[in-house]
Amino acid sequence: MLLRLPYSLHYPITITSLLKSAGDDVKKDEALFRYNYKTKVEEINIWGETEWKERNFPTRFESTVDGQVEEWKISEGDVIDGPIDVVEIAEPCAHEVQYGGMCAECGKDMTEASYNTEMMDSMRAPIQMSHDNTALTVSEKEANRVEEDAKRRLLASKRLSLVVDLDQTIIHATVDPTVGEWKEDKDNPNYEALRDVRQFRLIDDGPGMRGCWYYIKLRPGLEDFLQNIAELYELHIYTMGTRAYAQNIADIIDPTRKLFGDRILSRDESGSLTAKNLHRLFPTDTKMVVIIDDRGDVWGWNKNLIKVSPYDFFVGIGDINSSFLPQKQDIGETNNKAVAKPPKPEPKEHHANGAADKPTGEGDVSALAQLVTMGGGDDPRLRAEQTNAQEETILHQVEDRPLLQKQKELDAEDDGSAESSESTSSIEEPQENKHRHHLLEDHDRELFQLQERLEQVHAKFFDEYDRTRTSGLGGRVAALRGERVPMKDKDVDLKLVPDVKDIMPKIKSRILGGIVVVFSGVLPLGTDTKNADISRWAMSFGITISSRINGRTTHLVAGRNRTAKVREATRWPEVKIVTTQWLLDSLVSWRYLDEEPYLLPVHPDDRGEPLSPKSRELADSSWLSSSDEAAGSMFTEDEAQSEDIFRETGLDDHSPVGYDENEQAAVHDELRDFLGSDDESESDNDAWGDDQTSGGKKRKRGEGADAGTDDESADDEEDEDKQGSRLSQRIKRSYERSTGLREVASAVPTENNALPTREQAEQEQDIDKAAASNAGSDDGLPENPDDDEDDLEREMLAAFENDDDDDEDIVDENE
Amino acid sequence: MFFLKEEAKVITLHPSYFGPNMREYLITRLNEEEEGRCTGDHFVICVMDMVDIGEGRVMPSSGHAEYTIKYRAIIWKPFRGETVDAIVTSVKPTGIFTLAGPLSVFIARKNIPSDIKWEPNTVPPQYTDHADQVIEKGTSLRLKILGVKPDVAAINAIGTIKEDYLGPL
Repeated sequence: MLLRLPYSLHYPITITSLLKSAGDDVKKDEALFRYNYKTKVEEINIWGETEWKERNFPTRFESTVDGQVEEWKISEGDVIDGPIDVVEIAEPCAHEVQYGGMCAECGKDMTEASYNTEMMDSMRAPIQMSHDNTALTVSEKEANRVEEDAKRRLLASKRLSLVVDLDQTIIHATVDPTVGEWKEDKDNPNYEALRDVRQFRLIDDGPGMRGCWYYIKLRPGLEDFLQNIAELYELHIYTMGTRAYAQNIADIIDPTRKLFGDRILSRDESGSLTAKNLHRLFPTDTKMVVIIDDRGDVWGWNKNLIKVSPYDFFVGIGDINSSFLPQKQDIGETNNKAVAKPPKPEPKEHHANGAADKPTGEGDVSALAQLVTMGGGDDPRLRAEQTNAQEETILHQVEDRPLLQKQKELDAEDDGSAESSESTSSIEEPQENKHRHHLLEDHDRELFQLQERLEQVHAKFFDEYDRTRTSGLGGRVAALRGERVPMKDKDVDLKLVPDVKDIMPKIKSRILGGIVVVFSGVLPLGTDTKNADISRWAMSFGITISSRINGRTTHLVAGRNRTAKVREATRWPEVKIVTTQWLLDSLVSWRYLDEEPYLLPVHPDDRGEPLSPKSRELADSSWLSSSDEAAGSMFTEDEAQSEDIFRETGLDDHSPVGYDENEQAAVHDELRDFLGSDDESESDNDAWGDDQTSGGKKRKRGEGADAGTDDESADDEEDEDKQGSRLSQRIKRSYERSTGLREVASAVPTENNALPTREQAEQEQDIDKAAASNAGSDDGLPENPDDDEDDLEREMLAAFENDDDDDEDIVDENE
Repeated sequence: MFFLKEEAKVITLHPSYFGPNMREYLITRLNEEEEGRCTGDHFVICVMDMVDIGEGRVMPSSGHAEYTIKYRAIIWKPFRGETVDAIVTSVKPTGIFTLAGPLSVFIARKNIPSDIKWEPNTVPPQYTDHADQVIEKGTSLRLKILGVKPDVAAINAIGTIKEDYLGPL
């Protein structure tokens, strides 16, 4: 070890003599060299006066380690100004493997500290490497060596490492005693489904440490899956359950331990209760590791991760080992009900105070709550609390018997409305699609898909590896070196190992890359769209999440119908409006699924006419250009982005979504009240015409302002109507900020009132044309002069179908 | 090394146990609490006999009785240099974990003879010299303790099998 002078010496120092020469043995705390240092001291002279004098003091430097002096880096007479390396000492033992505070090689105590201790010996081996023992730590060098060996071995056998999560990934566990009763009861409707549920008992677990039974349902096809995958991957278990739990599960899924061996890591050894860390298992290199887990957030959306859809067999139980994890963001909750009425945000249950969460199907989690729970991992007090919370979850489950409750509800429902439920569609998620007669169903196909995906990654990895190895310089070098390298190195070249972190995203983005998705009604208001679980997941596939619809948008993923964005998207013919299920299914199956079965049935009222190419350009550019302008219409948004941004960039002024139906009805009435007469619409046309001539390229903005002035009468009217209502104020604002795009939509809806006719539309077109010639530039035109008769006709037809929902547009037109 | 050690323990007894079987109860309590305990310095293997149970003292205010029991017990205190037999609990690329009775002993790779190599491809993985010596989970080993480190309620030890007459039995 190279000894370095500490900062604490009184520099500059002068070396006076070296006490040891190369080859000498030296013990800890034995003097290595003498040196002098200068400092000022207080002295009392013969007259009794104190004065500061600079004095030279000799002292000696002591070794901090045992060993043999190899080489001096300094010589006698040197003056040293700061910390430098002074001597190389060969240690008999570098303490690279330590066990329980001892060096595992020489048996020396690593926790000793003295006045001369620069760095604790225990710091030399900081890495925990073994799955099931936290007392064993190794140095980085040793970790590297072990890992390199492992990689060689894997490459030679053409395998990768696979880290497998247990709960909800390959099994589903519950402690609800109802399962045990149903299992015994042949008459129970769930008897069939429960037949292959395994059970075990953990003695010092559960309420009051009395022990409780765990019921384990294996994911369908698990046995084959593990057998097949074990040929391509070396399997590791990484679970948030306790050690005993993990061992018991391993006994069930792998009784011979041929698959997992003792590569099992539980939360007892994980080091964190809230996050999983790949470096705990693979401290230096994660190139050859693939993870499968049902939660991406605990892994920080690691690039090695394949997120699988959670296995939810025992309905409503969720993950029994996740009560201290940040709450799951529920991304799968899109059932028919949600389409009909906006999901109410459920009151968030607090973890720390022990109100155990009822895991799945519950409310959405704010990013903040997540951070808070995530951050609690290091605080021992919080950790204890979280463990208590976990215990209480189990207690709740044992006592409350959620399954029994659900079955009761189900039976009650059964008696009540049997027929109406038959119509619920069957493409919904399995857990949502509760059968009428028994609660538990078992038609999960995830593992079969997963196997394909893992095979795909494996094949791609070794293709890449073989390619780089046989081609190019690396291959030649390897070939040249072939004679010299030892046998084990012959078929492997560690430098050429590709990285799963590169390969997986490549495969994934080939499938779904290039898609630009806009969410609508998927995430609760106030969520950061870019950081929500579903977004992170989608982004790992190279999908771009955008907050607004523009020309690049390919899909609108709508959590429910009739949102502002759905309406807007109808005007972009190439934007496919799909349900959330499409995205989820695509992500889960790693396929670009056909959108057809997932298309959202757009309410006819919401269907706006398609934007013409020109106005689309306008829209695209206006996103950029208008962002710094205050003029713009109100954009009421039910999603995450702040309203201000929309207000600034404003383009859309559709009626606000997210208000309840009464309010909406009120607004519609209000609108209908001041839906203008012919005069108004004419004046509007006039205004527009004026505008065309003056506006030029910035015509759009100018027109907005003009329209605003024209609006005034209507505004007054409205002010009288509903001054206080925030909604009406918003709408008012939106009138003032009318934009060109709105005109597009509004040109036809006027027909709804049977006021203007085709004549008027034609008239408008004429104006447009005139304006185009006048202004010399028409790229700002909302109404495209190229619109032909067919377009017009279609627009008119569409407009006939419109109803009050578009009234706002009509108003704009009529002002 | 094993010792016969005389020790004393204070047991408090709830008044509901006052009665004819008090003595038996005290003995059961002592056995339950002491046997198998690790003090951080040694393991209590077995309580041999009571030297003196002594007179109980009723504590004021609570009514509990306090007994100071003197007893003799066989204890095991592992020493550096001691040779013990142990059973392998798991094998890792970095070394072997073994259990010598209550004591967990780790044998680092450096303390395994160099001809006995890590062989991860077998099921279960093992250390072997590709001859008659195979070390896998469950194998009995004779090892020498290289170092002992007391902890709060446990003792960690490291061992070696890199000497004559050590290794799989």
